[in-house]
Amino acid sequence: MNLDTTVTTELNQAAFDAFLEMREDPGWLQQQRREAWATFSQMQWPARNSEEWSRTDIRLLNVEQYPLLTASPAATLAAQPQLNQGVDLAGQSVCRDGHSAQVDFQQKWAEQGVIFGSLDQLATEHEALVKDHLMTRAMNRQYDRFAALHAACWTGGHFLYVPRGVVVDEPFHMVSALSDGQADLGHTLCILEEGAEATVLTETLSEEADDDGFHCGAVELLVAPNSHLRYVNLQNWGSRVWHLAHHNAIVEQDASLQWTVAAMGSRLAKVNQHVALTGKGADAQVNGVMFTEQRQHMCYQTLQHHVAAHGHSDFLYKAALQDRSRTVWRGMIKVDAQAQQTDGYQRNDNLLLNDGARADSIPGLEIEADDVRCTHGSTTGRVDEELLFYAQCRGFTRTEAMRVIVTGFFQQIFDRVTIESVRNALGEAIAQRVRDYA
Amino acid sequence: MPDFVKVAQVGDLPDPGKMILPVADRLVVLFCLDQQFYCMDDICTHDGGTLGDGELAACQITCPRHGAKFDIRTGEALTMPATENNLTHEVKVEGTDILVRLCED
Repeated sequence: MNLDTTVTTELNQAAFDAFLEMREDPGWLQQQRREAWATFSQMQWPARNSEEWSRTDIRLLNVEQYPLLTASPAATLAAQPQLNQGVDLAGQSVCRDGHSAQVDFQQKWAEQGVIFGSLDQLATEHEALVKDHLMTRAMNRQYDRFAALHAACWTGGHFLYVPRGVVVDEPFHMVSALSDGQADLGHTLCILEEGAEATVLTETLSEEADDDGFHCGAVELLVAPNSHLRYVNLQNWGSRVWHLAHHNAIVEQDASLQWTVAAMGSRLAKVNQHVALTGKGADAQVNGVMFTEQRQHMCYQTLQHHVAAHGHSDFLYKAALQDRSRTVWRGMIKVDAQAQQTDGYQRNDNLLLNDGARADSIPGLEIEADDVRCTHGSTTGRVDEELLFYAQCRGFTRTEAMRVIVTGFFQQIFDRVTIESVRNALGEAIAQRVRDYA
Repeated sequence: MPDFVKVAQVGDLPDPGKMILPVADRLVVLFCLDQQFYCMDDICTHDGGTLGDGELAACQITCPRHGAKFDIRTGEALTMPATENNLTHEVKVEGTDILVRLCED
């Protein structure tokens, strides 16, 4: 790869051609990028009055202020990740400013056929494997202009492949870091073959708490029959980062996916999370934790798509909001006509810590089968002053009482997370953010 | 408290008139009415519509999305479906410069 550090921020044909020239992608990947670029060029940015974007204002986002089409070598990471603290890892892949910086991978898993590391590098080294799965089934490259931009211009990224029957009992750790004003268009692709098992901890972070930046990313999780994946995603960008992402999973027959999402950082986050249960008996559990403050805006649009019969999905998103922050959660359970005996559940709970915060919760059902159980629920409310008074009567300060109540609010999620380091990291991150509104 | 920042010049807006402007981390609507200037957040408190695209009639702006009306001088929500007042910001004119200071929430 040409390590020329020329940076361009313009998004035009000449810049894109120069970007391709800098890279050493195989022919099929170049072709995929060109098709995506053609789509990007024909599309418009999302309209303010479209249903999906009507509550999420991105007019102040100027994509061209960020250096997207670069081939800069990545410097080492200064900020400290959290999810790997005290954990023996099967491997770690680190990207900075959209490029791979470091990969560590235990030989014992490589000897069993596991493939792990930078997607950029492995797309060339394992061409056939990556070509079959990269943005072919899970992610829709034409979903919107951000998806097309990502498909055309992704760099760095993370890749995991676990062969048939291999059970990896140590977690993998994937880190994506941004320095101030930089961009990350990383793609994460995890493929579990039949009967495989793995745990993946991913996190995003900025060097400083108030850093600016732009993330236009995607995740694809492919969970083959009878395989089991636990996937954790902690989004902890700096407070001025724009975070646009498409997260997709396909869960096949008798396979299971436990997906834990924690969203703490960014200025504005807009995430589409689509899980398709395509095989009989597929199971998907999603646990979402959001904590927003200042003027943060987080919009999560989730889809539980039941394609096959006897599927089970359970999405629980909990958000605590303070200051003038805002969350928008739009959840949909879609059941196809042949997906009989589906059991689908979605719930969104919001805890407002003060006046001025706002949570919009919009669950939905689209059911074409006639023998299913589909339920949804939503709650939004303030912290009960009587609870605070009760705690203060027993010696808590008001801030301590608020922290305990907020921790209790999230306890249902923590109980569902089976990875201790993740529970500890999330609990600590949330407790640090709670402020006193006396 | 934030400082006053120059956002436009007298003459940039017709009278009556309005324009959407970025100030710090948000978009605001600057109004001119009877040679007076007013400023409020661009986002409707009801459901996120863009007030700057709405119809201005006397001292009232109508959100184009669902028809909520706000008083441009005070930010008061005048009609349903808006139930929450909008945030207004300080405006002053120095010479031909129009300056805005964002009011903290």
